[in-house]
Amino acid sequence: MKLLKISIITLIAILSLSIPAVSTSALTIKLGTLAPEGSPYDKALKRIAAEWNVISNGRITIKIYPGGIVGGEYDMIRKMRINQLQAAAITGVAMSQIAIDTITFQIPFLVRTDEELDYVLEKIRPTLDSKLAEKGFKILAFTKAGWVHIFARYPVVTPEDLMRQKMHVSEGNSALNMAWREMGFHIIPLPATEVVPGLQSGMIDAFTTTPLLAAAMQWFGIARNMSELRWAPMTGGIVISQRAWKRIPKELQPKLQAAIPAIMDDMYKETMEIEKQALKIMLENGLVINPVPPEAEKQWKELVRRGFNILVGKTFSREVYEAVEGYLEEFRNNNAR
Amino acid sequence: MPGKKSFQALHHVENGLAGLSLILIALFLTLEIFARKLFKTSLPGSGDYIYHLILWITFLGGAITSREDRHLSLSAGIEQFKDPLRRWILTATGFIAATITTALFWSSLSLVLIGFDPARKVGIVPIRLVVLIIPIGFGLMALRFIFHVPGKRANRLIAGLGLLLGTLFAFSSIVNILYAVFFELPPFTDTLAELAYSAANFLTLPGIVILAASALFGTPIFIILGGIAYLLFLRSGGALEVIPSEAYTMLTGSIIPAIPLFTLAGFILSESKAGKRLVRLFQAFFGWLPGGLTIMAVLVCTFFTTFTGASGVTILALGGLLSYILVKSGRYSARFSIGLLTASGSIGLLFPPSLPIILYGVTAQINIKHMFVGGVLPGIFLVLTLSIIGIITAIRNKVSRVPFRIKEALSSVRESIWEIFLPVIIILGYFLGFTTLVETAAVAVIYAIIIEVFVNRDLTLMDLPAVFMKCIPIIGGVLMILAVSKGLSYYIVDAEVPMRLSEWTRANIHSRYLFLLLLNIALLITGCLMDIFSAIVVVVPLIIPLGELFGIDPIHLGIIFLANLELGYLTPPVGLNLFLASYRFNEPLAKIYRDVIPFFLALLVTVLLITYIPWISTGLLKVIHF
Repeated sequence: MKLLKISIITLIAILSLSIPAVSTSALTIKLGTLAPEGSPYDKALKRIAAEWNVISNGRITIKIYPGGIVGGEYDMIRKMRINQLQAAAITGVAMSQIAIDTITFQIPFLVRTDEELDYVLEKIRPTLDSKLAEKGFKILAFTKAGWVHIFARYPVVTPEDLMRQKMHVSEGNSALNMAWREMGFHIIPLPATEVVPGLQSGMIDAFTTTPLLAAAMQWFGIARNMSELRWAPMTGGIVISQRAWKRIPKELQPKLQAAIPAIMDDMYKETMEIEKQALKIMLENGLVINPVPPEAEKQWKELVRRGFNILVGKTFSREVYEAVEGYLEEFRNNNAR
Repeated sequence: MPGKKSFQALHHVENGLAGLSLILIALFLTLEIFARKLFKTSLPGSGDYIYHLILWITFLGGAITSREDRHLSLSAGIEQFKDPLRRWILTATGFIAATITTALFWSSLSLVLIGFDPARKVGIVPIRLVVLIIPIGFGLMALRFIFHVPGKRANRLIAGLGLLLGTLFAFSSIVNILYAVFFELPPFTDTLAELAYSAANFLTLPGIVILAASALFGTPIFIILGGIAYLLFLRSGGALEVIPSEAYTMLTGSIIPAIPLFTLAGFILSESKAGKRLVRLFQAFFGWLPGGLTIMAVLVCTFFTTFTGASGVTILALGGLLSYILVKSGRYSARFSIGLLTASGSIGLLFPPSLPIILYGVTAQINIKHMFVGGVLPGIFLVLTLSIIGIITAIRNKVSRVPFRIKEALSSVRESIWEIFLPVIIILGYFLGFTTLVETAAVAVIYAIIIEVFVNRDLTLMDLPAVFMKCIPIIGGVLMILAVSKGLSYYIVDAEVPMRLSEWTRANIHSRYLFLLLLNIALLITGCLMDIFSAIVVVVPLIIPLGELFGIDPIHLGIIFLANLELGYLTPPVGLNLFLASYRFNEPLAKIYRDVIPFFLALLVTVLLITYIPWISTGLLKVIHF
C-alpha cells in the first residue's frame, strides 16, 4: 500500500512539473495535423510558424502537433470548436464536414489538371470562405497533395472492371457512398485501420488514394493494380477558428496570409518529388499501372456524372457545383485559344 | 426526496435502454453482414448508429454502475474502520466523487452545445440529442454519489457541497454554456469567469494530491483519473470540455464495440452450463499433459488477444469461463487461476493478424510482414513463460493426470459441439473476409444466445435480462475508466511530456544499454496510462529517431515497444488489465495485485530478455526472406 501511495505521488509530481504557465496576452495557436513529423507538410507548417513569429514580432506562436497525436481529423475540428486547438491542417474530406460544399473538388473527373485546380480554387475561395465563416472557421490556405487513383487487386480499365470488385470507402460519408451505390459499385464502408486486414481477408479488393498514401499505408502490397486514370485531386487546407483569428490584430492579418502561398508551393513540389520515388519503389515491388484508353475514360466520365447528379442540389449546393463547372469551362476556353 | 416508485421507474428505464442499446448494436452489425453478402450493399449510416449506441451504453452503464455502487476502487481495508470514522470516510469520498462528476457534468453539457455542429445528424437523429447522454450520465452519477453516503442527513449535505465545488471548477464551461444559449452576456461575465478560473486554479495542486490520496480510501478509479485530468487542464488554462470530448472520441472509436459485445457473449456462456461441458472436454483432451489445462488456457487467451488486438477484452470475454474451468477441474487454486488468466490477457499482441502490429508498421514505416515475422519468436517466448509456470505449478501441486481415452473424448465433443463451433465460426468469418472484427463480436453474441437458449436450453429468454444486468455494470465501469483515461493521456500530449522526455534523452543519455533500460521503464508507464493505439500514434514517432541514434534495429524496437506495453497493462497499480480482472473475477484490486505479481515478474524477465537480446526479434528475419 505504501509503495502504491509513493508511486501515485511520484507520478503526479512528474505530471505537474511539466505544466506550462497559463498563457498571457501573447497568442499561442495550437495547430494539429495528421501529417507525420518531418514530412514536407510538417516542414511547411514549421516554416509558416517561424514566419508568423517574425511578422508578429514574436507575439504569435504556432505550436504544431503533427502525426495525429491530437486526434483524428474530426477530433481536431471538435477541439477547434471548444478552443483546445486553434488551427488544423486537414484534408478536403474533413473540411467537408465543416462545410459540405468543399467536397465539390473531390468529385471524380471534374477537375483534371493541376492548373485547372489552381484556377478553380482561387476563384471559388471567397464563396467557400463565407461558408466556413458561418460555422466559425476560416481557411488560411488550400493545399494540394497530388492525385487520387484507383488501386485494385485485379486490373481496372473500364467501370465494369471495378464493379466486379469490392471497393473500400470511408465510413460516415453516407451521401457520397449513396452515389457509389447508385452507380452500381459494390462498396464496403470500413474504418481506415481495417483496410489492411480487409485486403488480406478478401473483404475488400479496391480503394482510391494517392500513390504516396498507398505506399505509406502499405495498402498497395495486396492491391497491386493502379489505374492510370486520375480520379480526383487530393485537396486539403489549413483552417483556423474565427475565435483565434479575431484575436490577431487586423493590420497583421493580410501580412500573415501573404506569407503562406509560397511555402505551400514549395511543399507541393517536394511532395510530388517524394511521390515519384514512392511510385518507383512500388513499381520495383510489383505494382502494375493499367493504361486507360480514351473510350474507357469516356465511360467513366459519363457514369460518374450521372451518379453525382443525384447529390447536386441535395447534399451539396447546386450553386457551388455550377460555379466550379463554370470556372472550369472558362479556364479551358481561355487555354484552348 | 421523490417516492420509491419513481426511482424504480427510472431504474427500469435505465436498464431497458442500456440492454436495448446492446442488442441493437449486435443486430445492426449482424444485419450488415447479410446486407453485404446478399444485397451487395450496406445499411445507410449503420456505423454512425453503432458508435453512438456505445456512447449510450457507456453513460447509462456508468449511471447504473453508480446506482449499484460497482465503480472500481482500491478500497482495501476500508471495512476495518468502524462507524463513525467509516461514515465520515464515505462522506469524504462521496464529496470528492460528486465534485468531479458535477464538474464533468457542466463541461460535457458545454461540449454538447459548442462542440458539435447543430446541423449534424446521426442517421435521422440530431447529434446534440444523441450526445446529451454524456451530461445526463454524469449528472445521475453525481446525485448517486451523494445519496449513497450512509448515515445522517448531515453527511449527505456535506457530500452535496461537492455540487458547489464542482460548479466552481467548471465555471468557464458554464460561461460557454451561457454564451451558447444567450449569445450576449453582460461584460462582467468574462471578468467573473477569469476570477473563478484563478480561484479554481489555486485549488488544483492540493486538489490533485487529495484526489490521489483518496484512492486509498475508496474513491472510484475513474473519478481519480478523470479528476486529475480535469484539474491539470484547469491549471494549464486549457478547454475543460476536452475531457468529455476525448471520452467521446475514445468511445466512438471503430473497434470499441467489440468490448461490450465480447463481454456479453462471454457472460452468456459463463451463465449457461457451457463451463461444465467445457471442463469435461478440456479434461479429456489436455488432462494427460502435466499443466495441460493451464497451457490450454494460455493458448486460448493468446489467440483471442491476437485476434481482437485490443488488450483486455480477453479477460472480460473469456475470464469467467476459463477461471471456472481451471478451478472446477479441482487442480488449481482460485488465486493461481486468476493470476494466470489476468497475465494471459495481455500476451498475444505479437502474432498475426494483430492490429497493433499493423499500425506500428504503418506509423514506423516498416514492412508489416517483417514486423509479423519479427514478433513470432518473442511472442512464443511470452507464451512459454506462462505455460512453464503452469507446468511447474501442476507438478508441484501433484496434480493428477487423466489418461487420454478416445471414448470419453468423443462423448465430450458431442456434448459441447455447439460451443466448439463458436470459435470456428468466428475464425472462418474473419479470415475468409465475411466479417470485420467488430462484426464477429456481434455474431458471437447472437450465436451464444441461440445455442444456450434455443439449442442447449440452459437459459430461457426470461433469464436473459438478468444476464444482461450482470454484465452492464461491468461494461459501464470499464468503459468509463477507458473514457476518462483518454483525457489524462491527452493532457500528457498537450503538455508535450513525451517530446520533452525524448529531448532530454537525446541530450543526456549516451549509453545504449542505459537507453534501453529507460525505454523499458518509460514504456511500462506508458502502458499503464495510455491505450495501445494512442501510444502508437504518440510515442512511436518519438522513439524511432532515438532508436536510430542508439543503433537499434527498427523491427527489434517495434517488438520492444509492443512487448513492454503489453506488460504495462499488467503493471500495478494502474495497469488496465488489473482493473478488468478485478471486475471480471469479482475480487478487490489489492487481491488481484497479489495474485498477478509472480506472473508479472516472470513476464518482466522475458520482456527484459527480448529487450537486450536483439536476436530473438531479428533472428528469424535473417532466415526467412521476403
